[in-house]
Amino acid sequence: MTAEASGAAPSTAALGDRIAGAVLALLAVAAWWHAQTFVSGFRQPVGPDLFPRLVCVPLGVLALYLMCRPGLNQRWPRGVALLRQAGLLVVLGGYAGFLESWGFLPATLVGSVLLIRLFDAAWRQALVSGVSLTVILYLLFEYALGIPLPAVPGLGV
Amino acid sequence: MDILVFLLHGFAIALEPQNLFLALIGCAVGTLIGALPGLGPVNGVALLIPLAFNFGLSPTAALILLVSVYYGTMYGGRISSIVLNIPGDEPAMMTTLDGYPMALKGRGGEALGLSAVASFVGATVATIGLTLFAPLLVGFAIRFGPAEYFALFMLAFATIGGVTSGSFTKSFIAAGLGLLLGTVGLDPATGVSRYTFGLYELYDGIDFIAALVGLFAISECLLLLEDRRRETATNQELGSAIPGMKSARKCAPTIARGSLIGFVAGVLPGAGASLGSFLSYTLEKRWLGRKGDFGNGDPRGVAAPEAGNNAAAGGALIPMLSLGIPGSGTTAILLALLLSMNITPGPLLFEQQPDMVWGLVAALFIGNIMLLVLNVPLVGLFARVLRAPSWLLMPVVILVAFVGVYSLNNSAFDLYVMLAFGVLGYVLRKLDIPSVPVVLGLLLGGQMEFNLRRAMSISGGDWSILVSSGISIGIYAFAAALMAAGLLFAWWLKREEAGR
Amino acid sequence: MAISLRPLHTLAVSLLLAGGLTVSAPSQALPISDCLAPADPGGGWDFTCRSVGKLLHELGLVDSPVRVINMPGGVGAVAFSNVAGKRAGDSNLIVATSTVGVTQIAQGRYPGDVDTMRWLAMLGTDVGVILVDDDSPYQSLDELLEAMVDDPTSVVMAGSSGIGGWDHVRALMLAKAAGLSSDQTGSVRWVQFDGGGPAVTQMMGGHVDAVSTDLGEIAGFIKSGDVRVLAVLADEPLAPPFDDLPTAVSQGYEVAGYNWRGFYTGGEVSDADYQAMVDTLKTLYDSPEWKQVAERNGLVPLWRGGDEFDAFVRDTADKVESISQEIGVIQ
Repeated sequence: MTAEASGAAPSTAALGDRIAGAVLALLAVAAWWHAQTFVSGFRQPVGPDLFPRLVCVPLGVLALYLMCRPGLNQRWPRGVALLRQAGLLVVLGGYAGFLESWGFLPATLVGSVLLIRLFDAAWRQALVSGVSLTVILYLLFEYALGIPLPAVPGLGV
Repeated sequence: MDILVFLLHGFAIALEPQNLFLALIGCAVGTLIGALPGLGPVNGVALLIPLAFNFGLSPTAALILLVSVYYGTMYGGRISSIVLNIPGDEPAMMTTLDGYPMALKGRGGEALGLSAVASFVGATVATIGLTLFAPLLVGFAIRFGPAEYFALFMLAFATIGGVTSGSFTKSFIAAGLGLLLGTVGLDPATGVSRYTFGLYELYDGIDFIAALVGLFAISECLLLLEDRRRETATNQELGSAIPGMKSARKCAPTIARGSLIGFVAGVLPGAGASLGSFLSYTLEKRWLGRKGDFGNGDPRGVAAPEAGNNAAAGGALIPMLSLGIPGSGTTAILLALLLSMNITPGPLLFEQQPDMVWGLVAALFIGNIMLLVLNVPLVGLFARVLRAPSWLLMPVVILVAFVGVYSLNNSAFDLYVMLAFGVLGYVLRKLDIPSVPVVLGLLLGGQMEFNLRRAMSISGGDWSILVSSGISIGIYAFAAALMAAGLLFAWWLKREEAGR
Repeated sequence: MAISLRPLHTLAVSLLLAGGLTVSAPSQALPISDCLAPADPGGGWDFTCRSVGKLLHELGLVDSPVRVINMPGGVGAVAFSNVAGKRAGDSNLIVATSTVGVTQIAQGRYPGDVDTMRWLAMLGTDVGVILVDDDSPYQSLDELLEAMVDDPTSVVMAGSSGIGGWDHVRALMLAKAAGLSSDQTGSVRWVQFDGGGPAVTQMMGGHVDAVSTDLGEIAGFIKSGDVRVLAVLADEPLAPPFDDLPTAVSQGYEVAGYNWRGFYTGGEVSDADYQAMVDTLKTLYDSPEWKQVAERNGLVPLWRGGDEFDAFVRDTADKVESISQEIGVIQ
């Protein structure tokens, strides 16, 4: 498999497009089918279901075309790279989840330190820059821009 | 020549030292806000409104401040487009297509300088148009009913195949996906919920900014984590902004065409700056054909959308001032500001408040000149920012984007939307499917659908209303000609290659 | 969870103190600190929050500027569910609403009913108008309604609300008063635009025949003479400069359609806090500054507060619900 490093191997390339085409075609069919539930009580020449259906038709047809005549794709990640990408999504997802329940300051502190670590900084660097980044962002949004951020429960900050 | 007298008077007001100072502050603050991903003109203008009140500024002074912030944020959005490949707001999206490749080649400074000049020219053309033709253009805009708007959106999507150099099929698939995602939410006409699966957070649809930042910023971050040696503009020298001024002269015809297209799109309320920059880019690409190298860092690919979107922003002031109709989020806020200053935009504004109107026009000129001047030192500043190590730069960008997107609607849900679009954007990039049409579908789909349905409500279900006016027939003919030209061109390219 | 978090709390606080910032506790005596606008910046609810928030601070009724939080979505449904779920007992919060919001509740489009929230007060009201273009063939309300009753599909009406929204319902109430039968209301052509201004502009361009919307939004077009007002939907004639506009009542149609602006707060706010908030808003309403702000924006200052307002909201919701059923907007 290392031989393909110089260029995309046609077989895997085609596979990505074929899968994408199949997924999108399924999506178009499902969206078309789901549109039948868009019923309003009031009589109208054009209801809320028409436009989504109008979009589904070319989307589905083109997706099928892509499935049959795939084009070029880039290489997909494997191993460590994939782990690090998953790590990014976990850190950011966790940050989104805890932002409101923890409050801005603790959530951002943890989030930024982990994020900087993920980009291969040393712990010391990560801690120092994470703390300063958190404080700067807090001051910037809360005071300079006047945009309220979620407070730490029970503390009012 | 009453207009000239008023305009000169407006300049006299705008050139007072206090107002010049406000313009400078406004442009600088606006540029910084605009450069933060997720924060755009709407935030900048909204948060400075209370400031304008607190300082007890006169209406004209307050307007000068806010207009400068507006222009500043528009310009700031370009900076992150060019330097980081992350658009600061929707109209800046088109600038990533050639601006970032320019930065990769070490011509980032040139791109920034060029975009400043193109923006300046676009805005100036719009301002001149506003000065001379406002009443005439109002009459033109009024003739656009729902059927004509629908034709205009059809034109936009017919040209979408020309956005990127990738395959036509993939561009149209991306646009279809965007249009479908754009229907998510409560249908405003009937209150029926579509594809929301019971989530109240989706009732207002998918937030564009969250989608945009996800598609560009998060996916960029994922790519960087995959390949640490990935070439980024941060490894490159930014260069100086001065060559940008020179290449602007070479791009003069492009800038002129972009300004004109953008201005027309801006005058039509509801079309807006995004459509302006988009059409300027795609039409210019068609116009140049093989003479252009769009998508690979052609300076004209920066000049066209930049001129287009600033001309559109200026053009949007015409319906806002003379009809009281905001054509975009930002003009909506300017409108609210005028109202709270006891100025009611509407048909009588030009007669009743000439000082204010021409003061505003003068402020537009001043704001533009100020940005052009500020641009040279600002390029140096951003070059320094880029020398930050990438372990610091990317987390900073991502976190600013997170907080910015969160603060738009105070909704953690938007952050998940952003992440989902980040993964989508990453997969699309791997598949060589362009992301730009997805955002355009999301952005324009709503208006496209409503205008279709409005037209059908008016006609009582008769489809012939769509082609019942000269304007719509003309637009469809133009769209068909462009489509045909595009297909012919593709066929000809293929034959050329086969013959080689 | 709480234990592992404590060091972070301490760290965060000490960071702030080190930065020279003081942590201010929320004041008990001066309750309102946040105003939630369930819409994007620039709209009516946003304006209500911004103008009232600014005035509360200027009049010294609150000690720090009121923060305006925009939370658009589902014509107020997102903000409603957010307050019900997360800030039901928060007496620092007021939420902007209007007839439009109550119409949504009455038609079952919010996650809850009027009992979910505590209704504070209304501070002013806008009034509905029926307009045609200045060169329209319809010279009077009678002519327009007659044409609609004769052939409901012959008139294309437009406004800023969707089907079943307040602009549409008001127009259909008039048509019903003129004798249009309930099974015919669905045939009246209704086109929604993004606001009263765009609707009027489209009418000036000849794309629609008549517009039903709020007076405040389109007052400029009336002053400039670009449109003809067939009726204002008020019980009494309006104050100058709109005193010569005919009311629907004076033309024999007993229909009034106001769009008031007011506030609610979470359903678990205590009686004492609720009363304090109502009193604060009452002080604001009584100030001459509010009268100025209201009139400047085409609103008629009008006070209903506390229990009276609560009863009024319930009554409105009941009425809208029965009208919506009659005209077939909801089952």
